[in-house]
Amino acid sequence: MSMVQDAGALVRIFPEALVCGTVMAAVCGAFGVFVVLRRIVFISIALSEAATCGLALALLCRLPPLACSALVTAVAVLLLTIPDRRQRLPKDVTLGAVFLLASSASVLLVAQSGVGLEEIKAMLYGDVIICGPRDRWTLLLTGLPALAALLLFLRPMVYAFLDREAATVMGIRCWLWEGVFFFLLGLVVSGASKSGGALLTFCHLLLPAATALLLTRRLWAALAAAMALAIATTWAGLLTAYRADLPANPTIIGTACILFTAVVLARAVLSLLLRGSRSVEIETNRAPSNLSPVD
Amino acid sequence: MSERPVIQCRGVTVAYGLDIVLDCIDLTVPRGTLLPFVGPNGSGKTTLLKACLGLIPHQGGRLVCDFGARPPAYVPQQKQLDPIYPLSVTDLVRMGLYPELGPWGRPDLNQRARVAQALERFGLVPHRHKHFGELSGGLRQKTLLARAVVSLADVLVLDEPTAGLDEASETEMLALIRTLHEGEGKTVLWVHHRLEHCTALAHTHCRVENRRVRLQTVREENP
Repeated sequence: MSMVQDAGALVRIFPEALVCGTVMAAVCGAFGVFVVLRRIVFISIALSEAATCGLALALLCRLPPLACSALVTAVAVLLLTIPDRRQRLPKDVTLGAVFLLASSASVLLVAQSGVGLEEIKAMLYGDVIICGPRDRWTLLLTGLPALAALLLFLRPMVYAFLDREAATVMGIRCWLWEGVFFFLLGLVVSGASKSGGALLTFCHLLLPAATALLLTRRLWAALAAAMALAIATTWAGLLTAYRADLPANPTIIGTACILFTAVVLARAVLSLLLRGSRSVEIETNRAPSNLSPVD
Repeated sequence: MSERPVIQCRGVTVAYGLDIVLDCIDLTVPRGTLLPFVGPNGSGKTTLLKACLGLIPHQGGRLVCDFGARPPAYVPQQKQLDPIYPLSVTDLVRMGLYPELGPWGRPDLNQRARVAQALERFGLVPHRHKHFGELSGGLRQKTLLARAVVSLADVLVLDEPTAGLDEASETEMLALIRTLHEGEGKTVLWVHHRLEHCTALAHTHCRVENRRVRLQTVREENP
């Protein structure tokens, strides 16, 4: 069957997966630019695990999954962002502790809940291919408002992140904008982890943004490129998974990794070529002066 | 313009937890002065200015700051800005317009002209599209100074603006600071390490040492 026919079949059979994958990719891609710029990549994976832990808690206590996940994520956000001027240990220690606690608690909570193995796997690792209408609404109601707020308040957030002290002197309430950003990030991670899984959420927060930042040096362009790349890798991954009968999430993640590696390699090759051409120019410029004493 | 002092400290104490950095200090900074803050590393020069800017709370005493109609412009050390942010020199200079534009405002023709003038004045026009991370230390510091100038603030607070610069860039930066003070009447408060530069530029400096501050006159004003 041709690729176009396969794509048509994918749209017909898994429309929810395509919609959910696209929304998740676009929102996480945009937030990922700030995750990478703020150097909080590992905060995002800890938040993904905290969101999963919240889902496991919801499963055990028969609570609403999204609300429970958002609450646990909010607690993790508070733990990870409380400023500590006199910290005796690096922030990474808190980060590692939250990650370990959330990861182990997820497994323990689900084990206590008495549900089946497939449900546990779906809960802990997620799978975008089995997303349903409920996941679509979850993603639309959490992701799109968060994305709108990020874009609407982009200027004060960027200034607060870039130069906190100068921004404070200018009248920007940096603590407020940092709080808003982490609240929105927590909301996005909760919604995305519930629908698509923690690992895919982490992938979308990291790789498309990192690839975009290698390709462009303008903030708006980086945001647009990160969203576009995340959506493109999701579609390409879903199509590949459908055609080759592979699990969807790992295929999407693999596609994003291949794209990132290709861009890194292309930049390295380009840099070597440019360096080579520059050294040839220098040698050419030197040649007459080297010859002149002999002449 | 108000003739009240820019800064008035009466018995001000600043501490980080239990570590007292400045103990019961008195200081008055008149408007329109160029005042370098000198002293050994860790003496509290930057802490004092940050307390005046409201970046660090003070524990005791009375601290009154009157920076004028516009917020002061703070120029941090260039190493404080993360160079990975995808912002050009022009983007960074435009940041100085934030007090006027707020979160959504677009710069009008006059504000765009101010940005262009600041880029011209600091020799940044050839670099205006460059990424901040690509610039040398001297150009980065000039960019931050241009951002401060664009804001039209009456008071400029500079934290070691020549740190990490070579001698030529340092001389150029000091000349720019002098022009801002003498040519435009800005109040410039400036943390610096080298006393010889301070004596060349300002007739008074503020010595911060042993948790105390002391104003010292180092040269008479030219008639």
